[in-house]
Amino acid sequence: MAVNDKVDAVIVGAGASGSVYAAVLARQGKKVVVLEQGPDWQLGDLISSDLWGRRIKPPRSPFLLEGKNPVSHGYQGGWGVGGAALHYFANFPRLLPTDFKMKSEHGRAHDWPISYSDVAPYYDKVAHDVGVSGDAKAEEIWRPPGQPYPMPPMKTFKNGDLWLKGFQAVGIRMVPAAVGMNSTEFKGRPACLYDGWCHIGCPIGALANPLVTYLGEARKAGAEVRPFSVVTRVLTNDKGTRVTGVEYYDQSKTRRVQHASVVVLAAWAAQNPRIMLNSSDGKHPQGLANSSGLVGKYLMTHFASGTLALFDEDVENHKGTTGAQYMSYDRYGKTSQPGAFGSTFIVAGFAQKTNDLGGIANTRLDLFGADLHAYMKRAVRGLTRITSFGEEMPNIENRMELVSDKDEYGIPLARMIHSYDQDAQALWNANFDEGLKIAAATGAKESWAGRGPQPTIHLMGGTIMGTGPANSVVNSYGQTHEVPNLYIAGPGIFATAGASNPTYTIFALSLRGAEHLAKTWGTVAA
Amino acid sequence: MGPNERRSFMKSAAAGALAFTVGGVDVLLTPREARAQNVPFRLLKSGEADTLEAIGETMVPGARAGGIAHFLDQQFSVPAEEALLQARILNVRPPYVNFYRAVVAGIDKASRAGYDQRRFAELTSGEQRELINALRQNKLAGWEGPPPPFVYLLLRSDAVDVVYGTMEGYESLGVPYQAHIAPERRW
Repeated sequence: MAVNDKVDAVIVGAGASGSVYAAVLARQGKKVVVLEQGPDWQLGDLISSDLWGRRIKPPRSPFLLEGKNPVSHGYQGGWGVGGAALHYFANFPRLLPTDFKMKSEHGRAHDWPISYSDVAPYYDKVAHDVGVSGDAKAEEIWRPPGQPYPMPPMKTFKNGDLWLKGFQAVGIRMVPAAVGMNSTEFKGRPACLYDGWCHIGCPIGALANPLVTYLGEARKAGAEVRPFSVVTRVLTNDKGTRVTGVEYYDQSKTRRVQHASVVVLAAWAAQNPRIMLNSSDGKHPQGLANSSGLVGKYLMTHFASGTLALFDEDVENHKGTTGAQYMSYDRYGKTSQPGAFGSTFIVAGFAQKTNDLGGIANTRLDLFGADLHAYMKRAVRGLTRITSFGEEMPNIENRMELVSDKDEYGIPLARMIHSYDQDAQALWNANFDEGLKIAAATGAKESWAGRGPQPTIHLMGGTIMGTGPANSVVNSYGQTHEVPNLYIAGPGIFATAGASNPTYTIFALSLRGAEHLAKTWGTVAA
Repeated sequence: MGPNERRSFMKSAAAGALAFTVGGVDVLLTPREARAQNVPFRLLKSGEADTLEAIGETMVPGARAGGIAHFLDQQFSVPAEEALLQARILNVRPPYVNFYRAVVAGIDKASRAGYDQRRFAELTSGEQRELINALRQNKLAGWEGPPPPFVYLLLRSDAVDVVYGTMEGYESLGVPYQAHIAPERRW
């Protein structure tokens, strides 16, 4: 086995969270190595095509997807630098104060060990770091005041504007969506062209993916990114009290050890617990930092209730962004929908493409043959939709565990078991019901609920934060309770899911954790 | 993949075109061109290709001429890391050809059982439509293979990809493609 020279920090994963840690630590003068299992994509690789766009998603999933509502790993995950944030829609809603107090306010699940006010300054910092367009003042009908966004809202199009009448009819207030995109030139990156290819990677850098934000800054500050590097284990000292680095396979499939003073696992909510469970040793028989037995537990996802409407007129649905034009927290209160529990976050107005899972053809899955073709001809001009994201409560039975079968690197595959409970099903249904009322008030020629299997979007949990090892894996900074120089970053540390798209919060929590690590480096690093 | 293979992968991936083998030489073609030139299949047997073409054509008119069987066959022959198939997104475990062979076997078995021992490709278009509709609704008696609604979703997606998912497909629907970086050969 080859052994590399020791560095200050090794970061596993070059997605949203790992990029933030890399930028912060490299700017502090730390020697940083980022190990990324996939390719080193460049903006020029991001071909405008739903077919070619699939290359930036994971091949050979090492997960067995089980339960009544299996996690959609292939669609949600990323592969290569940028991670899932290379193909995310860049909707940037934040969590609200109520999300952090689920137990206190509702007697359910658990509180976060921090409150909204702890995270809010980092939302503001991230907005100015990566570029957010929106109307912060307008959002303050739902949240405490903060700094204005650095750019005005994005343009809107008929496919979004047509819904406003419907929302007004049911008493839902819509405001310009906060998005991680450029409505104007920002830090040398151009303004958006509204061509609707965000979801397969924005090649002009108008969308705030890691390549043009934190990862780019990390590289400029000297961080080294090693693509095609697959981490198998985190290594510890003899006493098991400190991590000493990671074992990985490099591009030529040579087994190597990268020693480091600090290890940051930033390989998404799916791979982080898998690596931790595979890092068991004599001192950590249940897996690293897992005396609580909570590594891999409380996996959470969002579910979307999409309502579709077909108009005779041209709604310009080829224009816009994959993310939203309008958003609302008016159904975000946990008991907003009668007979259901959990937050709902509503968005409207999207550019639509023909194929792939979210494409126009899949909005009427019952049609095929000549009927599908007739529908496509109408829908490419007249179809538009809204989406209500729903919150799933943490459930310890939604979990990941290793199995005996192994992948090509000898790492055990993992089983991800996920099922929605009655609350989630009730909220999903309630949001469809309300969506149809909204659509009916728009004057659309036809409208329908985009039902199918209840979707599993935005994987979170598995290494949740809390007040101590009795109830969690990490503290509010992502530092594991048991091993002080092991940090976990990303949506895996969310204590509850909220209903907001998670990446803005991922950036904010990562920035908070990374700055704290930099500040306490002398006591943390080994 | 070794380093050289990976570099080659990155280069070809960036080009946005599919490589087919013609006379022992790799050439860049669209699946439609590959079918029109009768490019030999790399992995599919002709009976399997016939069935996949017939399924595709039933799902989305134009899929046969669009080269659905050549697209799938080419994709089966490349490493999973390069795959453009919807199967990748829907968590089908590589090698993908195994899944599709199970589907072809299941469809042809259901066809023989319901239609006088005829394979799916030998059915009339009305019969093909009837069988696919039963597949969609999970109403194929004695079905052996992957879950029918999933098979319907995946093969319909493949046909949609070939017919509507390309620059040519957008043109046929009369909707602007608006590429930032256009795929080479309009695919």
